[in-house]
Amino acid sequence: MDDTEAIKKCQIGDREAFRHLVERYQKRAVGHAMAVLLNRDDAEDAVQEAFIDAYRAIGRFDTSRTFYEWFYVLLRNRCYKLTAKRRPTENLDDVQLLAPQSATHDETRLALEKALHSLSHEEREIVSLKYFSGLSYEELAAYLQIPRGTVMSRLFYARQRLQGKLRGMLIREQEV
Amino acid sequence: MKELSCDDVLMAQMAVADGEEPGFSKEQLIAHIAACANCYHELKQSQALDQVLAGHTISETRVDLWPAIETRIAKDSRQSIGWKPFALIGLLLVIYKLLEMLPAEDPGMAFKLVPLVIVALLFVLIRENPFRINTELVMER
Repeated sequence: MDDTEAIKKCQIGDREAFRHLVERYQKRAVGHAMAVLLNRDDAEDAVQEAFIDAYRAIGRFDTSRTFYEWFYVLLRNRCYKLTAKRRPTENLDDVQLLAPQSATHDETRLALEKALHSLSHEEREIVSLKYFSGLSYEELAAYLQIPRGTVMSRLFYARQRLQGKLRGMLIREQEV
Repeated sequence: MKELSCDDVLMAQMAVADGEEPGFSKEQLIAHIAACANCYHELKQSQALDQVLAGHTISETRVDLWPAIETRIAKDSRQSIGWKPFALIGLLLVIYKLLEMLPAEDPGMAFKLVPLVIVALLFVLIRENPFRINTELVMER
């Protein structure tokens, strides 16, 4: 069942079709929520609430957008509501934002994770969506509901902060 | 032609590296970088950052949120049905009982099935499967 068909079925109250959407997108959504919240329990709570919001609002689904792009706006609202009353951040060593790679790249991943943790929610969000989920600027503008110019400047300043945090590693990288 | 600041140039170079439209001509960017040691240095750092970022993906761990979401949705839809359909079903059952009490004529087997049909309609209305085993229930000691 493709998303369009599932959404049409959801609109007439088919819960199984909605289950299909939840199962297709929940993993990705938890990963994206983790990028903002840095807390697994909070991320799962936010995703759950966002799916319930989506079910309630599915009648108003904008067919010019993809399901996940539309859903991400709901997820984002839930994440930012949670940041206001968030639980204490987990031990950063326990929060794994990036997928593990080969052992040789693990040191880089850990340093990158540490640097990402020091960014603001918005900075970490845009860097994650761009570089770890591969969205284009146009897609970022739609996901974050901001103009393309704002995407560029937010991404630029987030990268500048990341560069500052990783300066030592980047110098070594340049020398290789 | 607009005078480019270092931030303009570095932002445009970031867009180029990301495969996006930079908003300035290539010649303008090259000319600025050739004359600006700071931009040249920052650009090298930016390229090194791209290498560090490349190839990483968001960690996707196993998760199953559907049972919790389904419970909430079911609760929501029960709450949103309202009292009117239930009042209508009650009225139908009362009418049925009154008809059944009428003396004389035997309405037949089909008539006896009417309450069953009404109850089946009720389960359809509240979108509940009466035969589903609820694993969340715990036996009281």
